Amino acid sequence: MLTMDNIGKVFRTDLIETHALRGFNLNVQQGEFVAVTGPSGSGKTTFLNIAGLLENATSGKYYLDGEEISMLTDRERSLLRNEKIGFIFQGYNLLPDLNLFDNVDVPLRYRGFKAAERKRRIEEALEQVGLSARMKHLPSQLSGGQQQRVAIARALAGSPRFLLADEPTGNLDSLMARQVMELLETINQNGTTIIMVTHDAEQAARAARNIHIVDGQVCDLALLNQPRPSQISPIRSAAEA
Amino acid sequence: MFSYYLRLAWLSLKQTPVISALMVLAMAIGIGAAGTSLTVHYTMSHNPMAHKNDQLYAVQLKAHHDDYDGGTSDELDLQLTYPDADNINRMSTPQRSTAMIRAGFSIKPDDPQLHPFMATGRATGRDFFGMFEVPFLYGAPWSTAVDTLAEPVTVISRALNDKLFGGENSVGQTIEASNHLYTVVGVIDDFHPQPLFYDLNNGAFHEPEEMFVPFSLLPVNKIEAFGNRNGWKSENLQSYDDWLRSEMYWVQYWVELETPAQKADFEQELAGYIKQQRQLGRMPSDTAFASLKNVQQWLDYNGVVSEDNRILLALSFLFLLVCMVNMIGLLLAKFLRRAAHTGVRRALGASQRQIFAQHLVEVSLIGVLGGGLGSVFALVGLAGLRQLYPYYDQLARMDITMLITVLLLSLLAAIIAGLLPAWRVGRTHPAHYLKSQ
Repeated sequence: MLTMDNIGKVFRTDLIETHALRGFNLNVQQGEFVAVTGPSGSGKTTFLNIAGLLENATSGKYYLDGEEISMLTDRERSLLRNEKIGFIFQGYNLLPDLNLFDNVDVPLRYRGFKAAERKRRIEEALEQVGLSARMKHLPSQLSGGQQQRVAIARALAGSPRFLLADEPTGNLDSLMARQVMELLETINQNGTTIIMVTHDAEQAARAARNIHIVDGQVCDLALLNQPRPSQISPIRSAAEA
Repeated sequence: MFSYYLRLAWLSLKQTPVISALMVLAMAIGIGAAGTSLTVHYTMSHNPMAHKNDQLYAVQLKAHHDDYDGGTSDELDLQLTYPDADNINRMSTPQRSTAMIRAGFSIKPDDPQLHPFMATGRATGRDFFGMFEVPFLYGAPWSTAVDTLAEPVTVISRALNDKLFGGENSVGQTIEASNHLYTVVGVIDDFHPQPLFYDLNNGAFHEPEEMFVPFSLLPVNKIEAFGNRNGWKSENLQSYDDWLRSEMYWVQYWVELETPAQKADFEQELAGYIKQQRQLGRMPSDTAFASLKNVQQWLDYNGVVSEDNRILLALSFLFLLVCMVNMIGLLLAKFLRRAAHTGVRRALGASQRQIFAQHLVEVSLIGVLGGGLGSVFALVGLAGLRQLYPYYDQLARMDITMLITVLLLSLLAAIIAGLLPAWRVGRTHPAHYLKSQ
């Protein structure tokens, strides 16, 4: 359902040309939990941005649910991003002027849901991350772990098929990080595909599948294209059975 | 989404109160200046009889010798002689017409508590009230017969009626004015055409007259004109009758012609009249001719909107442009400073168009707030003009149309100023900011 075929991404300035990704191939199936690792500057975030339709690839083809996205207009890409993709960032990226309710409301507004539907989804999402009692608080009134849980709630509220997480625990202490990881695992067990960029080998090990990127390329292709049976989530296994 | 964008806009203004206040102030100052000059220009260029523009015509003749320079571009005289006005009064084509002069009357009130005072007046015909749609509070215009029989009757203004009769219905009462008694036949209600198009010889902006008397009374009561009088011929004018017979220009003349055919007929009648007068030894120029100008043409011809006013208007809009440029800079700074938030919204599914719309709503809100404050500035500016220059007393007043115009102008100016910043922030690449937040 997420297929990258020979993707290349080049950043150009007047003086230099940087190949962030080159010949990048990847196949991610519904319900997978994929950890993306690699050294700084290897192209992890660029991969995530392209996967999340935040950037265009310079070359190659990218299929999301079978739809080739390079020819889509900004509006179509935005709609696709809104409906199918949820983002979790290292720095949480909550909007500081809005309370938790309104932060979670943002993607739902762009989806065009009615007020009652939005309210139901927001309350459910905040309930899921254990923050329903604080929905009128501002992000600045929460701890880092709580803010990340709000960001997860925001990503989940629109029921996306993909959750793209860029160092989701990078700013958290170990206890908070563990809680967030457990939350992500629960979400994945409920059927949402998760692609998580991380520097942390321990967390990467908790994912069912690992991709290592070096110099803009997947390190060992043999490991990538076929998920191991044990990597398939229980929900997906049950569904297939 | 509009209400959502509006809420975001309000939040955004509250988050950056200083920069937002500066933008509102910049817009308000620009709108205040533009609104002040625009209001004055609007009043000056207003045609109070626009709905009858092609039915009412000022009559002009070129009756002077070719050696005389009347000062007009088309050599026509601004006013008529009394004999010409009197003769045209007898023509059959116009359904309604009136000769008139501005006058002044020394009023001697019956009430011993009141001192004698001067009242502005106009000697005119009965048709004046119908042609120019003068509303009546009490009574009616004098009868058609009065225009020929020269009876001493008068129609007075509401203000004069209030002063002399305490606002009561004064029809049938008499007024002693300039040593003559006039019987009141009507009291007019509020009547403030601005500019005072029917007589621009004495300035275009002042209150209409307080006392109207029949034009036919001129030879009887020897009513003096209180306006400009010009002449091309050297004449020894010793008496009032000399004035009436003279070639001096001091009478205004208006006709109402309902159809182009009527206008053509009347022009033909005037041409015949000129031919007849030349045969009688008057109107010495071989190129003597007549002209009819509708109300708008008459206002333009008399230069009611001065060149100074046009320049002032242009300068004020230039100033508004400077304020807008200033606002563009502030908006760019503000919007780009929170580009990271925009990046988040883009990541969460907002399209470029939605980001553009969100920011345009914000600048529109600034425009509305700036327009509101700018209207207050404009009202203060207009009040200042009225205080400084009595001439602006009628000019410097903002009506509801102008108030709405000023608000819309502010909204439009803000949207124009916000186009570039909103477009720029809409084009920001979300990925550039998400990592940096």
